[in-house]
Amino acid sequence: MLYGKRQTVTHAERWTLVLAVVVVAIAGLLPVLVVIAESVTVEGYMSFESYNALLSSPRQWRWLGNTVLLGVLVASVSMAVGLPLGLLLAKTDLPFRSALAVLFTVPLLLPPYILALAWFHVLGRGGLLTQWFSPALGELTHEVLFGLPGSVLVLSSSLMPVVLLMTIAFTRTVHPLLEEAALMTAPWRSVLTGITLPLIRPGVLLGGLLVFLLATGEFAVPMFLRFDVYAVESFTQFAAFYQPGAATAFAVPLAFVAFVALTLERVHLRDRTYEVRFASPRSGLLTVPLGPLRPLVMGAVLLAWLLIIGLPLGSLVAASAVGGNYSEALGRSWDALLRSVAYATTGATLLTVLGFFIGYIVQRRSLPGWRSVDSLTILLFALPSTVIGVGLVTLWNRPLLGAIYGTPLLVLIGYVAQYIALTSRISVAGLSSVPRSMEEAAQLSGASWFRRVGLIVAPLTGRALGAGWLIGYLFCLRDTGLSMMIYPAGGDPLPVRTFTMMANGAPALVAALCVIMVAAALVPLLIVGLIFAGASRENAQAA
Amino acid sequence: MRGVELEGVSLDYGNRAILCNISLCIEPGERIVLLGPSGSGKSSVLRLVAGFQAPTMGVIRLGGEVVARDGRITVPPERRGVGMVFQNLALWPHLTVHGNLDFGLKVRGIHKKEREQRISDMLDLVGLKPFARSLTTRMSGGEQQRVALARALVLRPDTLLMDEPLSSLDDELNQQLRREIKRLHAELSFTLLYVTHRVDEVADLAGRVIRLHKGNAIPASDQFGA
Repeated sequence: MLYGKRQTVTHAERWTLVLAVVVVAIAGLLPVLVVIAESVTVEGYMSFESYNALLSSPRQWRWLGNTVLLGVLVASVSMAVGLPLGLLLAKTDLPFRSALAVLFTVPLLLPPYILALAWFHVLGRGGLLTQWFSPALGELTHEVLFGLPGSVLVLSSSLMPVVLLMTIAFTRTVHPLLEEAALMTAPWRSVLTGITLPLIRPGVLLGGLLVFLLATGEFAVPMFLRFDVYAVESFTQFAAFYQPGAATAFAVPLAFVAFVALTLERVHLRDRTYEVRFASPRSGLLTVPLGPLRPLVMGAVLLAWLLIIGLPLGSLVAASAVGGNYSEALGRSWDALLRSVAYATTGATLLTVLGFFIGYIVQRRSLPGWRSVDSLTILLFALPSTVIGVGLVTLWNRPLLGAIYGTPLLVLIGYVAQYIALTSRISVAGLSSVPRSMEEAAQLSGASWFRRVGLIVAPLTGRALGAGWLIGYLFCLRDTGLSMMIYPAGGDPLPVRTFTMMANGAPALVAALCVIMVAAALVPLLIVGLIFAGASRENAQAA
Repeated sequence: MRGVELEGVSLDYGNRAILCNISLCIEPGERIVLLGPSGSGKSSVLRLVAGFQAPTMGVIRLGGEVVARDGRITVPPERRGVGMVFQNLALWPHLTVHGNLDFGLKVRGIHKKEREQRISDMLDLVGLKPFARSLTTRMSGGEQQRVALARALVLRPDTLLMDEPLSSLDDELNQQLRREIKRLHAELSFTLLYVTHRVDEVADLAGRVIRLHKGNAIPASDQFGA
């Protein structure tokens, strides 16, 4: 259905949606503009001094090279692993595919530095390899871990699920008829390479791009593994030396990299990755029979999970299991844990509500400039947390704004800025399954826009909103970079406290804190999983 | 009952003209079929009358009252006294048949007792009383069509708009529902604008046919080569 400029939009609808855009702009766009303005200002005058210093130093260019190299390598490895794995889990008759997809997604739910620590317990000096094989081997892997290869390994295992999930989601949007038509003349292998893969390519490329951007913006892992990248330098300038000018100047190249990458996405993938519809019933999808290879493939997939995820996380649990650590860890982090859950719950709720309205603008094209709104949210998601963090502090750290700065409100504003793209894109997907005509039918019945949204659209997108809330919760809970820069005094969340303790805490205690963090992320996921499974069973019985 | 009048109505999407200077006058209680191939602008006429879009140029009147003029909506859809059966039916899947019918009545603040009476009468009229508490997703195509019709009619619209509502049904069911539409029209006397591209539906339903081609209304004398 084509909607032109002259479709009817009520005042209530327009002003509610405009308000949502204004909130996102204040939370995200304004801090970024402040970062850019600050980077060209010295003592109130325009100056490119920071950039001159930046560009004239060979070290800066090395860091920029390191940053881009890290991003490219992590994206490449993630796509090399995530794409075939995603196809296996979405398109074949492999048993327990849903459970396996969840298992492979676990690292995405954790702050990446936890995986760095987990890999340290495997590959580091005195780690599992040393214990199982020889100190010489442990020494060798320790050398490899600290530097580029280790950073690539850790960030790939952490971010690969992005490509995996995008592959699964886009594979489910391929209409079975397209594959059936090809199957009339070609075997499955040709159908996959000639039809399915080209159709899902935009989604997979978008996944790779997101991984690239997330990897270039990550500072905790390279900092722990001592690999010099821009994000680390920007964070250090801000947190260690408190030089906001230098920090903003360091942040701008990262913002520029994100901007260029997203512009490329818009040019090449425009309109092809807007809507990921929610999976149609699985019975409606065609699956590739693995035949006699099924047990072998299952074994290989399980082995891959064990090596990539099970081994490092298992070693972390083993390291934490030294007597008394959990009670001590809980005693020292109970307040931070509760705070984390409170921040994440409130943040997820805000993100769900705002994300719904932003998704509504994008999917229904209700406001002029809807494409810019969508681009803004994606840009904010792709920007390194240091850019947004520096911007928020610079913008809000003013005497008149004390009611916000130095309070949890600033953390929530930061969450909205960084993660609104997640919930808005999920809302877009959910809204795409609710035809506009359903709203129009309600409108003809006399329902106001709020009633149409509250009584028709929201209930029909309930599943998407629930998924959005959960993803928002998990991303707020795992957030480290942003929280580290803007948490109020005495109000640090658990990932920040754990990261801080990594510098001087006992390894077993830090490991126990990490395991508590893992549990805080997984418990709600399990609860929601059980609720969804129960609802699916009831639906199946009712049908 | 109110008549429908379009005077010099044009509709553009950017540079693309959807409707070109169309003028129509539909008498109250008349049964009009809009016929034309895909892309001829039939559905756009319904959307303009419903008030989901404003004409780029021209005036739309319902019962003599101007409801849209030159790019502006002057009376919103919910106050036009118009009901619509959508091509995809647009039944709300999370509500029962009763819930689908009750929604509009409730929104309009009608007392519960009267709502129940009107829903009961309407379900009787379309033969769906036993399905009142069923979810529409569990019903057959023909039953869903009847729910959509009942949902539009329970609000007692002056004008009923139907956008290819029977296009997805087999011939037998299509004929049966056409009979029902004619019966309901005779009983309730609403003005009917029915959009289709099927000639058999035209012959059966039309009191008058308006043919659209590439956004232009073809004069009655030219229809079917007459």
